[in-house]
Amino acid sequence: MKNRTIARYEGTLKVTGQARYEGEMMPEGLLHAALVESPIACGELQSLDTSRAATLSGFATLVTHEDAASLKPSAATALIREKAIHFHGQPVALVAATTLSEAREAAKATQASIAARTALTQMGQALDQAYEPAMVGRFPASTRRGDSAKALSEAGLVVRRRYTTAVNNHHPMEPHAVVCWWEGNKVVVHTCTQAIFATRAIIAHAFEMPPVDIRVLSRYLGGGFGCKGQLWWPWMFWAMLASRKTNRPVRLELTRAQMFILVGRRQETAQDIALGFVDGRLTAIEHDVVAQTSTHAEFSDSTAVYTRFLYACPNVTTRHSLVRTNEPQPVPMRAPGTAPGTFALESAMDEAAELLGVDPLELRLDNFADRDQENGRPWSSNSLRECYRVGAERFGWAERRARSATKVGRWKIGFGMATTLYPAIRQACRARVALRADGSLLVQCGTQDMGSGTYTALGQIAADALGVPMDKITVELGDTELPDGPFSGGSQVTASIFPAVEAATAKLRAALASIATTDATSPLGGKPPEDLEFADGMIRSRSGNAGERLTDVLARAAADGLEAEGESPATDHQKLAATGMGYGAIFVEIGVDPELGEIRVRRVCGAFAAGHILNPLLAKSQYIGGLIGGIGMALHEQTATDAATGSILGKSFTDYLIPVHADMPAFDIAMIDEDDPHLPGGVKGIGMLGTAGIQAAIANAVYDAIGKRIRKLPIRIEDCL
Amino acid sequence: MPSSFALACHNRGRTFQCHGDVHHMTQSLNANIPKQSIALSIKINGTRYEREIAPTATLLDVIRDELGLTGTKKGCDMGGCGACTVLVTGRRIASCLALAASFGGADVTTIEGIGTADRLHPLQDAFIRHDALQCGYCTPGQILSAIALLAEGPLSIDDIREGMSGNLCRCGAHANIVAAIAEVGGL
Repeated sequence: MKNRTIARYEGTLKVTGQARYEGEMMPEGLLHAALVESPIACGELQSLDTSRAATLSGFATLVTHEDAASLKPSAATALIREKAIHFHGQPVALVAATTLSEAREAAKATQASIAARTALTQMGQALDQAYEPAMVGRFPASTRRGDSAKALSEAGLVVRRRYTTAVNNHHPMEPHAVVCWWEGNKVVVHTCTQAIFATRAIIAHAFEMPPVDIRVLSRYLGGGFGCKGQLWWPWMFWAMLASRKTNRPVRLELTRAQMFILVGRRQETAQDIALGFVDGRLTAIEHDVVAQTSTHAEFSDSTAVYTRFLYACPNVTTRHSLVRTNEPQPVPMRAPGTAPGTFALESAMDEAAELLGVDPLELRLDNFADRDQENGRPWSSNSLRECYRVGAERFGWAERRARSATKVGRWKIGFGMATTLYPAIRQACRARVALRADGSLLVQCGTQDMGSGTYTALGQIAADALGVPMDKITVELGDTELPDGPFSGGSQVTASIFPAVEAATAKLRAALASIATTDATSPLGGKPPEDLEFADGMIRSRSGNAGERLTDVLARAAADGLEAEGESPATDHQKLAATGMGYGAIFVEIGVDPELGEIRVRRVCGAFAAGHILNPLLAKSQYIGGLIGGIGMALHEQTATDAATGSILGKSFTDYLIPVHADMPAFDIAMIDEDDPHLPGGVKGIGMLGTAGIQAAIANAVYDAIGKRIRKLPIRIEDCL
Repeated sequence: MPSSFALACHNRGRTFQCHGDVHHMTQSLNANIPKQSIALSIKINGTRYEREIAPTATLLDVIRDELGLTGTKKGCDMGGCGACTVLVTGRRIASCLALAASFGGADVTTIEGIGTADRLHPLQDAFIRHDALQCGYCTPGQILSAIALLAEGPLSIDDIREGMSGNLCRCGAHANIVAAIAEVGGL
């Protein structure tokens, strides 16, 4: 498979403002919707007074739990079917009106009577009520290999620390939106979702409709990072009910403030970690995580899961527990689990290195895991040591001793490093390719492009497989009329689409080869099909000088063109011969102003090994984007709840800081290409890798600069004073 | 002569300003109470549009919902993200903080007026080549902001970073955005 730099497929549409996002559909007679929010965090809805709202200009309809009673009960409909109030700002009704401002006025004029109960608004209020979930994602919540307690008691050095991480919100730049309408018993739903087929399935379940009557579209997605998923569904359902009630199209678009509350967040964690060493080798690890979930749903990040894999260690115990509070529900956010988990583990490793008197990089190399100890399998490929070597060299890690705590202007300099990792798995996928008589190629797959480059990847895989130039490729995605594709999450899309598109294009190659080689009038007539190659719009013989244009082959035997579908299965975790994991080593240089406590990330070098890279230009953008998300988590982002009321404080970009242009360091990205025979095309996901590891690297660099260990995120000015 | 007013919103290094015509607006508002709409005549990308709009409508909502020019994005609706940046006689403003009624007679440029697929503006072309976008939702605002920034005077890389900090990006395309702007700015 080729590795080549191709500009983003949909780039021109995006830079000219012509890419139409789903919330921008404008059907005739469109109504706008707004949500009526609960002013308290816990209680039960008694009644809604709509007498004033209904008299306001433009008012069309109001939808409540009573309307939602017609929906089938499920986790996705519970919040809108039931009267229970679980968190401050929980919508109790949706109002639709002619214009957005009229909808907002009517929502404001709707009075909710709620019987209040005492709310639990902070995780710390109920640590004694922590409980253990059954699973954390697809992993068991608790694991034990060997005897960590015994090994810790016998260790020569024990590092035992608590690390905490804050609540973060995803905040894609595009707010969640739906524009929907009914056509008889059928419904069309344009919505920002990372999973069109899961959305169609849940609509089918809730409305008890055949999936074929439901069309869900998400062709351009203005970011997602994990929040354009299941938590959006209840509010989308209400908009669909409003549309059915009024027989008019309805648009609901969340406000930025609502995006702090309704569509998920990275959960806060308190992590207790203990590392035991004998002669510089890890002999024991214990990693206990307590995290927040809501009173109406359960979610736990796989925070301690990566501790089971990263280092060679015979005795490892990990535990996850949850505390329910009347706060918004958490969901996965970019680098779920691995971002907070590596912050704790990789900070503790840095502390251990100092106590052991060894270089932090050496300590990691000494404790490299040469196989998956948790499952007793080899790695499908693992180039982590190469990441350490290449990253250290490019960054100049060897200068650390000489540079630590030196001053450049007002900045005290610090170096830090840490490791990142994320599993490489795949989802089931189908794809269709259609070669037209003019030699152009249509590629279709019902997946989404969150900005990660899926349009380009789909086009590029098909183009390379059939030797069709990129400018003759049309890619369609984001529509449930297309073959079922993967949801956009878990860094799995490229790895999932690759084998399906390969299977489809292989069928076309076989059909074309057969036409050409069995036709005596073709220059390729009589050649063995396996001798043919597809390139530059031609089919050529590898051994001779013969060749023929694709268009000529089609014109003779398939004037309407040819099409084929391919499919590929999800990763079968029970039958895996090897564990797939992507890795990276992150090196950072920071400056801390000791007078002001200000922290600047000056430069970041990330060396990543994640299988085969299709498109270095887009891959580099993904890695840098991931690192910037990680810088946000490390230094900026924190969502806080008011303990008294349970309301989220500062629900805007002026209070919730995310990295901006002025915060940018210099980035150096090294991509170590791996040949991975266990994975189709050798493809691993890359989107998560940048967003983990960097938090610990920054914290370790802060210590290197000013001698202060900061064991919480985000690290703020006040922590450095 | 009508007096002018300015609304300013500071957002980490970038000041958005919307200038308007208080006299004109107050007159319009007074004349129309209790009517629910006022007449707006506005020039956007060289085309004059006449619309009846709500007195409270923002320039952003008029551009997107009334005129269907959806290249201008709504990211936060409170001047905090820059996705709604448009140019008013060459100056960048946050159109979500601008009352449409006060822009009667103004000359507004949105992304649709910058370049087309066949005739890309140099910045649009540079954004594609530098891969200065991922999800693309902040992109029109970044490009318009950059066009105005480059017109504001000579710049260093740090000036670009500072001057673009009102335009948020969540995918993390910052490095490539600054590289694209620097190239077009001759840096």
